[in-house]
Amino acid sequence: MMLEVKNLVKEFGGLVANGDISFELQRGEILGLIGPNGAGKSTLFNCIAGYYKPTGGNILFEGKNITGWPPHQVTREGIARTFQGMKIMPNLTVEENVMIGAFCRTGNRQIARKEAREILDLMGLTGEAEALPTGLPIAAQKRIELARAIATRPRLLMLDEMAAGLNPLETKEIIQTLQKIKEERKLTLFLTEHVMEFIMTVSERVIVIAAGKKIAEGPPVEVARQEKVIEAYLGERYAKGR
Amino acid sequence: MELTVQLIVYGILMGLVFALIALGLSLIFGVMNIVNFAHGEFMMVGMYIAYLLSTFLPLDPLLSLPFAAGAGYLLGVVSYRLLIHHILRGPMVAQLFGTFGLMLFLRYLAMYIFTPDVRSIKQGILVGKTLSIGWINVDASKVVSAGVCILAFAAVYWMIYRTKLGRALRATSIDSEAAKYMGIDTKGMNALAWGIGGATVALAGALLAHFYYVTPTVGMLFTLIAFATVALGGFGSIVGAFIAGILIGLIMVVSGQFVSELKFSFIYIVYFLVVIFRPRGLFGW
Amino acid sequence: MRQLLIDIFSFGDRPRFERIGFLIFIIIVLVFPWMVTSAYGRAVMIKFLLFALFGLGWNLIGGYGGQVDLGQAKNVGFGAYATALMIVWWKVPFWITVIPGIVIAAAESFAVAYPMFRLKGHYFAIATLCVALVWKELFIFWDWTGGARGVEIPIRSGVDFVYMQFNSPIYYHYFILFLFLLQFFFMNWFRKSKLGYDVQAVRDNEDAAASLGINVYRTKVINYTITGGLGALGGSFMAVYYLYIDPDAVMPLDLSILIAMTVMVGGAGSIWGPIIGAAILIPLDMYLGAWLGAQKRLGIDFMIYAMIMMVIAAKEPKGIWGIIERVRKKGAR
Repeated sequence: MMLEVKNLVKEFGGLVANGDISFELQRGEILGLIGPNGAGKSTLFNCIAGYYKPTGGNILFEGKNITGWPPHQVTREGIARTFQGMKIMPNLTVEENVMIGAFCRTGNRQIARKEAREILDLMGLTGEAEALPTGLPIAAQKRIELARAIATRPRLLMLDEMAAGLNPLETKEIIQTLQKIKEERKLTLFLTEHVMEFIMTVSERVIVIAAGKKIAEGPPVEVARQEKVIEAYLGERYAKGR
Repeated sequence: MELTVQLIVYGILMGLVFALIALGLSLIFGVMNIVNFAHGEFMMVGMYIAYLLSTFLPLDPLLSLPFAAGAGYLLGVVSYRLLIHHILRGPMVAQLFGTFGLMLFLRYLAMYIFTPDVRSIKQGILVGKTLSIGWINVDASKVVSAGVCILAFAAVYWMIYRTKLGRALRATSIDSEAAKYMGIDTKGMNALAWGIGGATVALAGALLAHFYYVTPTVGMLFTLIAFATVALGGFGSIVGAFIAGILIGLIMVVSGQFVSELKFSFIYIVYFLVVIFRPRGLFGW
Repeated sequence: MRQLLIDIFSFGDRPRFERIGFLIFIIIVLVFPWMVTSAYGRAVMIKFLLFALFGLGWNLIGGYGGQVDLGQAKNVGFGAYATALMIVWWKVPFWITVIPGIVIAAAESFAVAYPMFRLKGHYFAIATLCVALVWKELFIFWDWTGGARGVEIPIRSGVDFVYMQFNSPIYYHYFILFLFLLQFFFMNWFRKSKLGYDVQAVRDNEDAAASLGINVYRTKVINYTITGGLGALGGSFMAVYYLYIDPDAVMPLDLSILIAMTVMVGGAGSIWGPIIGAAILIPLDMYLGAWLGAQKRLGIDFMIYAMIMMVIAAKEPKGIWGIIERVRKKGAR
């Protein structure tokens, strides 16, 4: 068992963003996290990645308690993440952006550069290595973020709304890329998404949260049929109407 | 005992002047979240106007107040329209060196025109006169300055909280996007904030010129005092600037009694401690 | 080891035009004292190299680090005072005095950085101002460092390499050039190193940097500490070049401003920025002053510089180097 989240609670002032969430993630699987807007998906993500300190509960990664660890420590331990808003370094070239990730594991510039080039090649970005990321289309920027995260040699990769802003063709491409790197790098994936085609096709298993609580868990097809889930997204009337 | 009361009175009087100086900075920050490095230089302009009008015209320095305020207003609005408006949308570093450049420009312009010589106002109704209240002796100019500061504060407070214009200003400071949708001319509001900021601080400068040296480099010191005051009072709070100003005045005077060479250091240290340990200050958001 | 040397000295990653430009620059600087024999000309060149030196150091925090630091003069002061006092009190040879100067500046920077990096942007800039001003007032207040009277270093005749005092500006020229090159090649190493990249990553996006394993706080503190040490080096030079220092000469606000300005206009964040900035400001300052004659009206040079700064803030925050790069990119297309 790779990741274990036990009774996670995160409160902001009086607001309970995550209330007693528990789940497990097995090595090598692709786990999806879905839920309506405001359900607490980002909060959960940020708690695991170290950007928020949980108010209660525990997070164990490969048996180690990483609850409350700062982000850089979480990454060094082997969990990488991408961001919803895309946080590219605008003043560094594409290759340099990826090198930053590689520098997590080495102090040597040549090694970092070699690693970066390999990953760029894997992602099909070799042609853009010397360019500045801000001039590139969104799909390419997403791949750069992905490349950067992989450069830190994670064992678990968390993806925050990777498909946001991509058209169906780009979404398909990125799914392929994702599957390729998962194979190459032996990754475990944990992703959160709004774009249903993306997450339901890619995930082996899905967790649904709503209003800060986990309401369902299981293979995508099953979960999509559950009344509670439909209710959370579309309201009671639709759920009953089915 | 006498000395202590004298000190406290002096501290409060100076503090009120500091409060007025800080008011403009707080206002500008409240409305558009930009910090004006050139704030002290606007004050310096007020000082020079008071100096010039009283030295080269037979005009009492007291009467130069409205001119100083007017010049400050103009300077604020022009600065906004020519420079600030263009850097607002840029990266924060650009904003910083925009107002920093403005500061340098004004500082060295003054140095060029007036040379670094120290000047002071030699005559006027208030200059050099002392008032006696009971056993306390205070400079007439300081008392009147304090009075004008209180009036100015009241005027600005009234404008912000009791007029429609003030409401528009407050709306812009809370959410400028939303304000724009409501039909508020946010560009005008920003310019107004800079205008009032410039006017109040230049007014303070004209007052200060009655009893403080006029040099081209005086700006930075007061910019820092203003920062310390605004930080202590809370960025964006008018009441905060008032109270914090008085506190800072007292701190300066008291520490000046013990180690006069370091009296400003204490103010700088206050800024440092406040922003690190209590960033909201006393009343800020 | 070989790799380290390559990292320090190679510019292979920069375009050829830059490498050639730098080579030309170095050649000019090397032969300068023989081509220009006027005392004033030589003094201008030495001052230019000194400010290029200061600029390179400041570039770490201000350019690569993206944090505007307006208190670098305190570090210069630490270096200057360490050197001056050790020479005057204990007759310590110059090159040994350099070490305590750097150590003190770095240590103070380290200590101050911890609380100060809780701040960002304008608040940080003002805090750096406050710290530097407090130190300056302290140095004026303290009698044991000479107070406002300063410290005078006794003049030695002839050519003295122990205390780095010389009877001809040519020696000082190569002396400062040596220090400049030291810092320049350090910067060259820095910008390619993991630390250099980490610093830039933090500047560009803190959250992303943290997600890539970078300890953001520690990176900022280390960067600021190094900047402090580098500032002290220039201060030590100032002590033995001017032979007289006081708080107003080595730690004033104007010096901090000048250093920051030089880099910001030249191009913060690029290795050439400080050199370009100093190359414009120092001759402008010294020659405009001389040209305006005996009635030197102070300030016009800074006014021009300030105007340039405001224009740059509005149009091209990357400074003159940024403009050059933009033009080059347009040309390449």
